[in-house]
Amino acid sequence: MTESPPVVLVVDDEVQIRRFLRAGLELDGFVVEDAETGADALKSVTLKQPDLVILDLGLPDMDGGDVLERLRSWSTVPLIVLSVRSNESEKVRLLESGADDYVVKPFGMAELLARAHAAMRRQVRATTGEPVVKAGPLTIDLAARIVTLSGTRVTLTPKEYRLLQLLAQHAGNVVTHQYLLKEVWGSPHMHDTHYLRIFVRKLRQKIEQDPTQPQILLTELGVGYRLANPEVAPRVTN
Amino acid sequence: MAYQWRSTFRLETIGRELRGVALALLMVAATTVVAWALIRYLDVRRGSPIYLIPVLLAGWHLGLVPALVAAIAGVLWSGYFFYAPFYTYFVARPAEIINLTLFMIVALVTSHLANSMKKQAELARKRENQMSDLYAFSRQLAAAPTAADIYRAIEEHLATLVQRRVLLFGAGRNGASDVAAPEPVEAAIASIQRGAALATTVSDDTGNIWLVRRVSPRTPAFGVIAIDLGGMPAVDEIRRRVDDALADAAATLERLDVARALNEAKMRSETELLREALIGSVSHELRTPLSAILGAATVLRGSPAVAQDERLRSLAGVVRDEAERLNNDIQNLLDATRISRHQIKPQLEWIEPADIVNSALERRRRRLADHKVVLDMDSNLPFIYVDPVLVQQAFVQIVDNAAKYSPGGSTIDISAGRNGHDVVLSVHDRGAGLTKDEMAQLGERFFRGHRLAGITSGSGLGLWIAKAFVGANGGRLQAASAGADQGTTVSLFLPYNADATQPEAAPDD
Repeated sequence: MTESPPVVLVVDDEVQIRRFLRAGLELDGFVVEDAETGADALKSVTLKQPDLVILDLGLPDMDGGDVLERLRSWSTVPLIVLSVRSNESEKVRLLESGADDYVVKPFGMAELLARAHAAMRRQVRATTGEPVVKAGPLTIDLAARIVTLSGTRVTLTPKEYRLLQLLAQHAGNVVTHQYLLKEVWGSPHMHDTHYLRIFVRKLRQKIEQDPTQPQILLTELGVGYRLANPEVAPRVTN
Repeated sequence: MAYQWRSTFRLETIGRELRGVALALLMVAATTVVAWALIRYLDVRRGSPIYLIPVLLAGWHLGLVPALVAAIAGVLWSGYFFYAPFYTYFVARPAEIINLTLFMIVALVTSHLANSMKKQAELARKRENQMSDLYAFSRQLAAAPTAADIYRAIEEHLATLVQRRVLLFGAGRNGASDVAAPEPVEAAIASIQRGAALATTVSDDTGNIWLVRRVSPRTPAFGVIAIDLGGMPAVDEIRRRVDDALADAAATLERLDVARALNEAKMRSETELLREALIGSVSHELRTPLSAILGAATVLRGSPAVAQDERLRSLAGVVRDEAERLNNDIQNLLDATRISRHQIKPQLEWIEPADIVNSALERRRRRLADHKVVLDMDSNLPFIYVDPVLVQQAFVQIVDNAAKYSPGGSTIDISAGRNGHDVVLSVHDRGAGLTKDEMAQLGERFFRGHRLAGITSGSGLGLWIAKAFVGANGGRLQAASAGADQGTTVSLFLPYNADATQPEAAPDD
């Protein structure tokens, strides 16, 4: 990478959290800006033009969810939410409001970096139209609509392909059940989670070495699915 | 209305007196028959005292007027039979005058004696009733679990004392009465509660007059009482009666130490609330610094300076692992609080059983690093309809226990299979095992085997939480062990309803 280092905006009112995030992110090559309040954060996104936002939900001046919604009305900057509440329906709500992913406190730096890189690469892919997504032995060529497993072509039904395509577009970031159901089967089936279970089982039988221990198509219980993304090798290990 | 009431009262009294007089005369008549028989067959000539009998009886049982009537009638008849000129009712001789006076005195004395004894008996009975009421009341107070129960007891007690509709309100916001008082009465109650006055009267929309006052002028803790006096004009009189009754009641409350009982009951319920609130807020307060500690430890561990020195690296790992363990303990406390507050509400959905196992193992990857984990999962298990997050948390607890109670390097077998109408997720370790006693107590809150106390630490909440979470999903937890040091198998049984409810295939095209 010869371009200038990526800028990350850390929004958290706890000084100790900001300190370790700054250290961890700087070690990973980010330039770190920070904000303590929601109002600060909204201002900084305009002024600093960050490549990534890490947003804590418990802010003193406004609800993190509101910050997210206001931000999303004019910015598509990759955004990771930090939540202390491990409440699945809240995670889903945040993802639907436009968060790219979430990390539940307490978390290790490696986990955050993996999510952050995935979110940023999704942005790059959206702007450059990068056509090929790799996940372990699996290669998804989004332009040619071809899926290969260790070089061998995999035959998929149109809906199976659509499912994989949606996950590939979010490579590494979680995609909610509702989003997948809406995109593949249409809005009336938004809550038919069992459609997904059946299709994911079939898909896994085609692409996983051991479908009972998937390495590519991963389940986020109560939230959705994500594609494992070994390309994102964080420099800080857990 | 008042007049009618009084005249009814008088008529009733007259009726009773007339009945008494008739009975008295009947008794005199009966005595006369006896007197006549005495004279006729035994030739008794000095039998006038026999007429004292009806006088005494009437005096004792029927009251003064019938006794006097019996005395006069008795003197007349005894004059007729026993004094010359015989067989006339003429009363003239000194003996007869003395008799009459004597009879009158007997009538007076007996009726008075009887009357006062009756009064005393009645008083004693009343007092006995009061005592037993009071005793019941004090027992109620002592057993009352909450302040509201105490208020209710006081309310009932006062209602019997005052013989009117009574509403009692606590000194604070938590009034005991479930029934709301009418609007103007509420306002009066509020002003008395604020301490604006000790007592006041208001009338409500229906014209009923309410007396609102503190139960005790001295002890505000006894609360405010509102008494419905109805539309009676004699409010002042009733008010005096109420004041007397309440003075008694307040003294009783004082003596029974109701103020303390109230405080204790409030404390009991508040302590429970406080404890749970404390657990909630402490956990939250602990989590923020824990997040900083854990995050900082992972940054340190990966930083170039530390990563080069294995000793420093492993130290940073210790900080990270212990912070994580602390976090798990806090999570357990929170979960236990949720369970005891009945706040577990499963979000049911169809789920691949293997996903639950994999997600639990992923969360415990580091913890299991020292063990050899052997997985055996049926690839064609039915989907189950559960809250996947709750079941995963239950499974994490079981995995934790297996890792905790079996030696490093030993094998842990994890399996997902089918058994009848259940999907069974099992963890089998080669560790400390369970004795019969331990098996019986397993899953109780805070249970920890004493035998293993030295091996490892823990809160003893894990299996209890697992049991509750699985139970909330319609499943059950089962532990099996061949005995001490024979290893343990813990299984979660999750029903899947073999035939009916497997999800229909999704449309493909």
